Amino acid sequence: MIWLNPLALFGLAAIAAPILIHILIQRRAERFPFPTLRFLQPTRLAAIRRHLLEDLPLLAIRIAIVAAAVAALAGPLLLIRARRQAWDRRFVRAIVSDTAAPRVTRVEQAPSLRQEAFAGATLADGIRRAVFWLDTAPPARREIVIASSFPIGSITNADVAAVPSDIGLRFERAGALPEKRTVAMGQVLTPGGAQRREVTLTGDQTSARDAAAGDLMPWPIDVVSAETDRPAIDAAIAAVLSQHVWAATPDRRARVVLVPSAAPVANDVAPIAQPWMADAVARIAREADLQAAAARISGGLADPRWAAAPWHPLAFAADGRPLAAAAGSAKGIVVASAAPASDLATPVLLRSIADALADVRSLQGAEVVPIADAVLQRWSRTAAPVTAPRIETIDQDDRRWLWLAVLCLLALESWVRRARSAEVSRERDREHARVA
Amino acid sequence: MCPPEAAKSSACPPEVLAGIADLELVARIVVEGLVSGLHRSPFHGYSAEFSQYRHYRPGDDLKYVDWKLVARTDRVYTKQFRETTNMASAIVLDTSGSMDFPGAGFVTKFRYAVIAAAALAHLISGQGDAVGLLAGERFLSARAGRQHLRGLLAGLASLTAAGGWSAADSVRRASERLKRRGLLLVLSDFYDDEERTLVELRRAARMGHEVVLFQILSRDEIELPYRRDLEFADLESGRTLAINAGLARRQYTDAMAAFLERWHSRAGAEGFQYSLIVTDTPPERALRNFLLARKV
Repeated sequence: MIWLNPLALFGLAAIAAPILIHILIQRRAERFPFPTLRFLQPTRLAAIRRHLLEDLPLLAIRIAIVAAAVAALAGPLLLIRARRQAWDRRFVRAIVSDTAAPRVTRVEQAPSLRQEAFAGATLADGIRRAVFWLDTAPPARREIVIASSFPIGSITNADVAAVPSDIGLRFERAGALPEKRTVAMGQVLTPGGAQRREVTLTGDQTSARDAAAGDLMPWPIDVVSAETDRPAIDAAIAAVLSQHVWAATPDRRARVVLVPSAAPVANDVAPIAQPWMADAVARIAREADLQAAAARISGGLADPRWAAAPWHPLAFAADGRPLAAAAGSAKGIVVASAAPASDLATPVLLRSIADALADVRSLQGAEVVPIADAVLQRWSRTAAPVTAPRIETIDQDDRRWLWLAVLCLLALESWVRRARSAEVSRERDREHARVA
Repeated sequence: MCPPEAAKSSACPPEVLAGIADLELVARIVVEGLVSGLHRSPFHGYSAEFSQYRHYRPGDDLKYVDWKLVARTDRVYTKQFRETTNMASAIVLDTSGSMDFPGAGFVTKFRYAVIAAAALAHLISGQGDAVGLLAGERFLSARAGRQHLRGLLAGLASLTAAGGWSAADSVRRASERLKRRGLLLVLSDFYDDEERTLVELRRAARMGHEVVLFQILSRDEIELPYRRDLEFADLESGRTLAINAGLARRQYTDAMAAFLERWHSRAGAEGFQYSLIVTDTPPERALRNFLLARKV
């Protein structure tokens, strides 16, 4: 048996109330004037037995009333076999599908108590929402039916492991993946100009094809440096382009200021407010090549203002000071760098910035290889019987029986009380009649 | 007055008599019921003086037949006396709180004793004898006459039972106030100190008084017919004792029976006339039994 509201059991302290009442209202012997006490002996037999508690049956009934009422308030739930079987006979089902899958209309194998569909951009997100919903459902066998074409990567082992073990998993393959899919990935910047790149996925093979783009994407980074450093900067940009970096959209620009330089650092810097700026700064800071190159330079930005807001350090020099820091501005990202123009760190920084500014399309949704049936089979499992229902989701309990017991006990208590009262009255009347 | 069924049985129930406020009337009712069938004076004075002979008539006491005259004349004559002096008697009435039982609404022992005392006074006074009263602090010396009887009955009617009462002291006082050998009538439940009371009664007897004891008790205090838990409160001392009456009954009735038997045997041994009167007995019947016992 479990209690849905166990704190109410503290109310059992109320059992003390009828006990106290019985102690306090003990009937005193009636005062009876009598000619002499010389023949009345307070023998052990005749002495009035002052019980601690009088009328124990009535007291027991009253205690039972209080106990039953408190138990009813505590919400008892008897985990009997019939109830468990009733729970196990019903299903609560969540149907998860991705937008690529056709609408699932018939997936149930057994009548369900409740059913809810979850469609989202990714199956993993749908599964998380389904688990949350199932946790709020009444006691029943719980399962998630996942309907998708199941391209590789749409569900991972981690997604499956995050589902509680008592929730069943069923995978319904809905629709087939194409054998070949070509995806336009955007433009790449090369020494020969911008190129439009297409990626073709065929089975387990991937091929890319670049073609000259009609609308050329410009180099997205302005570099502010001393005039004497221009040759080194140009060489660095050429080196970056030779590695074919992704082109950014025209609204995403960056300005790199080499410190010290002839130009003022920037008077228009501001905290980073645009999401793409924050995303780009984070990606630059995660660039491992940049971090390695920065660590080889002995001194970073000496002025402490580069380490304070609105500047965000991107990489640190050997002396622990920021080698480069970024801030926002109205025209894009502003990056201050202490790296010499001719140092390797400068082209690495420029490449990192260029890659961070580009919004490269993911190939996840273009996958044409499905997750193997064997894997799905391994992940599949049946819904487990209900063992430990969540208290807050239980929709039926046994408190009604206890309230019924309370009513019956109240009736019994009333009957016993009246019987006692009538008995006392009859006895008193008999004695009065005898005296009269 | 008495209900018809009571009249038929020639005994008026105590509760009816107790409801009559006029004590003189009550005394007369009791005495009228009492003397019917009794042919002669129940109390004998010591000062009767021979007056004349007369022929014997059926019903005359054989004690007054002059047997010498019968032997000489073969005729049966009885002696007639002229009462020159009256018998002196004193009624001693217990006014202690223990007599106020069973309490309001019922005929108490005290009320019963007052009725009995009034009847006795009426009876004694009706014979022309002197009767006095000692009840609590109230004392009326023994005198004869209707006027005195009325005063005595008025004194009885004004009494109440409360507090303590010493039977020994009252008996001593009453016996000392009787100027000559007389009759001492004591009406009490005799719960007081038995030994001291007996000593004084014995002393009164030695003084030449005839001692008559009326022990008046209620049926309930003899039988203790209760079953419940009761807190018994002593009517005199106020002391309380809470016991279960049903469980205490056997021991109580045994002790009460021993108490009554003790009084009966001691009174017999001392030559006192003893009568146990239960308050549910009509006073006429109780007194008649007493008077008939005196004739034996």
